[in-house]
Amino acid sequence: MISPVKIWRRQKVVRERLGHRGKIISWTMIMVPGGDFKDVAPYPVAIVELTDGNRAVGQIVDYISEDLTVGREVIGILRKVRKPSDDGVIAYGLKFKPI
Amino acid sequence: MNAVIGYYTTQFGELWEQSLFQLVEEAIHGALTSAKLDAGQIDAIFYGNMLAGVLDNNLHAPAKIAEIVGHHLPVFRVESACASGGMAFHLANQYLNAGAGKTVLAIGAEKMTDYSPEQTTRALAAAASGEEQEAGLTFPGLYAMMARSYLDEYNYTEENLAYVAHKNHFHGSLNKKAHFRKEISVASILKSAYVAHPLKVLDCSPISDGASAVVLSADAQLTKKHKHAQILSSEVATDSISLKHRKSLTEIYSSKLAAEKAFESAGISPTDINVAELHDCFTIAELFAMEAIGFWKPGEGGAQIKEQSTKFGSGSSLIVNTSGGLKAAGHPVGATGIKQIGELYLQLTGQADGRQVEKATYGLAQNVGGSGGTSVVSILGI
Repeated sequence: MISPVKIWRRQKVVRERLGHRGKIISWTMIMVPGGDFKDVAPYPVAIVELTDGNRAVGQIVDYISEDLTVGREVIGILRKVRKPSDDGVIAYGLKFKPI
Repeated sequence: MNAVIGYYTTQFGELWEQSLFQLVEEAIHGALTSAKLDAGQIDAIFYGNMLAGVLDNNLHAPAKIAEIVGHHLPVFRVESACASGGMAFHLANQYLNAGAGKTVLAIGAEKMTDYSPEQTTRALAAAASGEEQEAGLTFPGLYAMMARSYLDEYNYTEENLAYVAHKNHFHGSLNKKAHFRKEISVASILKSAYVAHPLKVLDCSPISDGASAVVLSADAQLTKKHKHAQILSSEVATDSISLKHRKSLTEIYSSKLAAEKAFESAGISPTDINVAELHDCFTIAELFAMEAIGFWKPGEGGAQIKEQSTKFGSGSSLIVNTSGGLKAAGHPVGATGIKQIGELYLQLTGQADGRQVEKATYGLAQNVGGSGGTSVVSILGI
C-alpha cells in the first residue's frame, strides 16, 4: 500500500541521489510489469554505479534504444514513479536519463 | 539420523477447482498415507507459504491446518519468499535435531492462479527491496539483469540459456504431476515473447497452484519400516536483499555458502551427487546454481548446458531437475522447496517411475528466495 507517509519518508533518500552521474551496470526491459506499472510498460530499468561508488536502481527515461547498453553514462533525475494514490499524493522518485 | 519417510504432492498447475487449504489438506493426507501414519502420530507441522497474506488476506494458517488435521499440535508457518518450502523443511529437520519431537511433517503450498498476472507479479515483488519495487522491477527483471551480466561476461547468447528449459521440459514430460508435460525445442524457446530482456516467457517458470508434503522422522524404529532417505544435511545462508549490494551479479552467493556448509556437514563432495533438484525459476538460475554448488566452474555453465549431460538418459553421473524443475513441473512458490525434497526421496528410494535415475545414492536440493537473498541447500542419501 502506498501511504503519504511512506512517500514522504522515501523523499529523504531520493533527494540525495538527484543530479548524480553514473554508468549503467546492467539493464533490462520490463515487458510484463506488476499492476502498479501496467500503464507505463514496456520500460527499461537499470542498476547504475554512481561516481561516488554507490549504486542505485531506477527506470531509464528520455532514451533511444542505443542508450540501453552497459557503460552508458546517465544522471539521476526526479520523476513521477507511480500513479497518484487514493489520497491524491503523487509519488516522485529517482529515474535516470542518458547524458 | 533423521530421515524422510513419506511424500505426496498434488498435481501442479492451474487448479481452479481447489482452494489453497483444499490443496493443503490433500497434501497432508497424502503424505501421512505415504508414511502409513495418522495425524495423531505427528508431533509438529512446518508450513511454507509466501503469498496467501498478500494476495488473499489469508493468514493464521496454523489454526487452519489444525482444523484440517483435527489435533492441537504445534504448527509453524514459514515465509522466505520462494524458499519458504525449503526453509520449512530445514526447520522441521532442526526441530528433530533439537529433540522437540520424533516425527514431523513439512508442507509447502501456494495458490497463485486465482489472480491476474499483474496482481501475482506485484505480490511476488514483495520479496524485493523497496527501491527495486519503486523502480518497477519484477522478479523476471531482476534475473534478467543478472542474465545480461552473465551473458556479457562470458560471451554467451540467449541460446545457451534455452537449453536449460529444453532439458527441464523433457523431464516434465516424464512427470505426471508436472504443470507442463510438453517438450519444447530450443528454436521455439528462442522465438517466444520477452518478459524482461533477455529473458523470454519460455525462460521463466510458470505461475502455478500446488501443495507438497514430506514426513520426517528421528525415530529409528519407525524409519526402519519405511522406504526412507536419510537427511545428511540441510543448511541456510542469506545475502543482501538488494541486487545492487551483491558482490557479483553473476552468481548466487548465498547458494555457494549454503552448499559449502551442506557438503561439509554431510561429509561428501559435489562429485558424489547423482540427482539434484535446483531452483530454476529462470533458465539463468539453473546455471548459477550449477556453478554455486560446485558442479561446474564459474562461467562454464553456458557451454556445459549445451552438452545436455545433466539430462535424463545421458548416462552421466549427475542428472538435474528430474521433476521438470520449477520451469516445467511448475512453481507454486511455497510448495517448490518441498517438492524438490520429495523428488529426491522418490529417486533415492526407487519410486521415480519413468524418470528413475539408476543407482541414485545421493541427492541435493537447492531452494532460493528472491533474487538470491536466501538459499537452502539440503542433501539426502541412502
